Amino acid sequence: MIDFLVNWLANAPVTAVPYALAALGLIIAERSGVLNLTAEGLMLVGALAGAGACLALGGYPAVALVAAMVAASAVSLLFAVLVVVLRINQVIAGLSVVFFCQGFTGLVGTLAKWQNKQLTGLAPLKIWPLSEIPGIGRILFQQDPIVYLTILIFFAVNFLLFRTMLGLRIRSVGENPGAADAAGVSVTLHRIFAIVAGSSLIGLAGGYISVVSVKLWVTGMTGGRGWIAVALVVFARWAPWPALAGALLFGCIEALIPQIAAAGIRVPQYLMLMTPYLATIAVMIWVGTKDSGITQEPGALGQPHVREERR
Amino acid sequence: MTPVTSRGFGRLTLDVRQNLPAWKQAVFVGSSLILGLAISVAILAVAGIPPLTLASELAGVLTAENLRGVLIQAAPLILVGLGASLAFRIGFWNLGIEGQMVFGGIFAAAISIYDIGPPATRLILMGMAAALGGALWVLLVVFLKLRFRVNEIIATLLLNYVAMYFLFHLLYGAWQDSKTAFPQSTPFRPFERLTDIGYGVNTGLLIALGGVLAAGWMIHLSRIGFYTRFISANPRMAKVVGVPVQTATIWIIAISGACSGLGGFVNVASQEGRLTQSFANGYVFSGVLIAFLSRNDPIVVAIVGFLIAVLFITGQTLQVFYQIPFTMVQMIEAIIVMTVASSEFLIRHRIRWIR
Repeated sequence: MIDFLVNWLANAPVTAVPYALAALGLIIAERSGVLNLTAEGLMLVGALAGAGACLALGGYPAVALVAAMVAASAVSLLFAVLVVVLRINQVIAGLSVVFFCQGFTGLVGTLAKWQNKQLTGLAPLKIWPLSEIPGIGRILFQQDPIVYLTILIFFAVNFLLFRTMLGLRIRSVGENPGAADAAGVSVTLHRIFAIVAGSSLIGLAGGYISVVSVKLWVTGMTGGRGWIAVALVVFARWAPWPALAGALLFGCIEALIPQIAAAGIRVPQYLMLMTPYLATIAVMIWVGTKDSGITQEPGALGQPHVREERR
Repeated sequence: MTPVTSRGFGRLTLDVRQNLPAWKQAVFVGSSLILGLAISVAILAVAGIPPLTLASELAGVLTAENLRGVLIQAAPLILVGLGASLAFRIGFWNLGIEGQMVFGGIFAAAISIYDIGPPATRLILMGMAAALGGALWVLLVVFLKLRFRVNEIIATLLLNYVAMYFLFHLLYGAWQDSKTAFPQSTPFRPFERLTDIGYGVNTGLLIALGGVLAAGWMIHLSRIGFYTRFISANPRMAKVVGVPVQTATIWIIAISGACSGLGGFVNVASQEGRLTQSFANGYVFSGVLIAFLSRNDPIVVAIVGFLIAVLFITGQTLQVFYQIPFTMVQMIEAIIVMTVASSEFLIRHRIRWIR
């Protein structure tokens, strides 16, 4: 029983990291007032770029993860132009980017023959002597470096959004673009920055899946995790720390599936695989039943800003 | 401090256009469509399909024998496009088309597997079951949205995965055809399949065109179509003057789901003749694209659906002969939506350079 718990919880951070990073990236973009549905697609881009860089360089997972971030940011620039400059409906633009990325990554990855090739991955970072504590040590202090880095990123983004001038401007653009514009804050530039910066984290989430977690690339390997991240943002009410808590919850749920199979408990396999999606819907129902209370939903979420159209 | 405008190179401003003549709008939309196709052709050229090869493959698709395949493929696409456009008309993002198709297919297959009803009415029963399956699957989301304010974009997309795994559960388990090792159901009997009725026209296409006429009547002529326009223009106002907003919304969305379910049935009963793992793959964004390009008009859906069927069949050809993955079709669809949506910006705004 103890073995089962330790195995399960030791895997949970690895499955939680993609959710956490993708949700955080979405929060940055949505705080600037852009409804961002692109996570699923940009994670696929990150996963492909990470795996491709790893195979091309023959290792260097850290460089591969940076490549994943850069690639996702580059593609997100397309989304930024569509919604911020051309003011396309943000749902349509987000969906187009996701399906573009699904098609494009499938095409590139297949033509480059990156499918099902073993990747080196990252060695776990043992924080000695804490890593030698029985049980707890394996769960908390023997993870790969990105797990620890994720927590640092959360601190950094929290600081950026709520303690700096740039963060204040991003939030003001999301809350009331007209007022921000009148105060001399460029809505266009801040929204583009928020999308591109957030997307680098989404790309890292995707690269983490292929390079560190699964250690190979297959078409469409994110399997809806991007949509779950979008739901997590609603669950977290656009605040970073609750998003981390939600990501841990989903990490635990996802990590449980292989453990149950490994423990020899007979549960229909494909019904088990439904659980993350059903859990997401359950969480959204829970959000809906709760009293609306304090939410940090940006006031202008989903609304394009055209200075000349102001009333 | 010198004012910004006197720096010498001026700046861009946007003017809001009140209206633009219809022919100019058509020029913008048409040229953006051509731009989208040009980008797609360029990407395929880099991927190893020179434009000339692509043109000859496309010409091959449009020959008499292959046209039959296009017409068969058009039927589910038209039904899916109808499903998407009906829901979008009322402002409901139905992105669960694949899940509804899966449940349409499962319900229809259940009628076949459990041998329900006499052979003569079997196909009708299967079609009705499929429509019911699709409608029930989307009504689940409607319930979640109305009762718990769950966002339907996320809910419908996530339920696609749930439906897919449920299909896998059946096809790798109870419903697997014992004669093969593949995850497929037992084939339908001959009287459970949609057949050719001559000139390459399939009964599935007749169902789709019947759906187009029914939806066209519903949207343009019937009372519920009038309600739909009222609700999408101003739901609060509609409610105040006594339009049954909630009932009309639920009905439209249920019909939308039923269309997708029927699409699943038509696809299963005319192409493979059995449930397969991937029969609903690639239809979500096709539905969005067809609805978007047809501006949610049922009659235009039929035309656009046919064109997307040409794209599908070309994609299948490229997959078989040039190993281009079929997801390429989704990429082209996405590029077209992006460019056409961008043209709306030019229709609504004029860009000017002010010195």
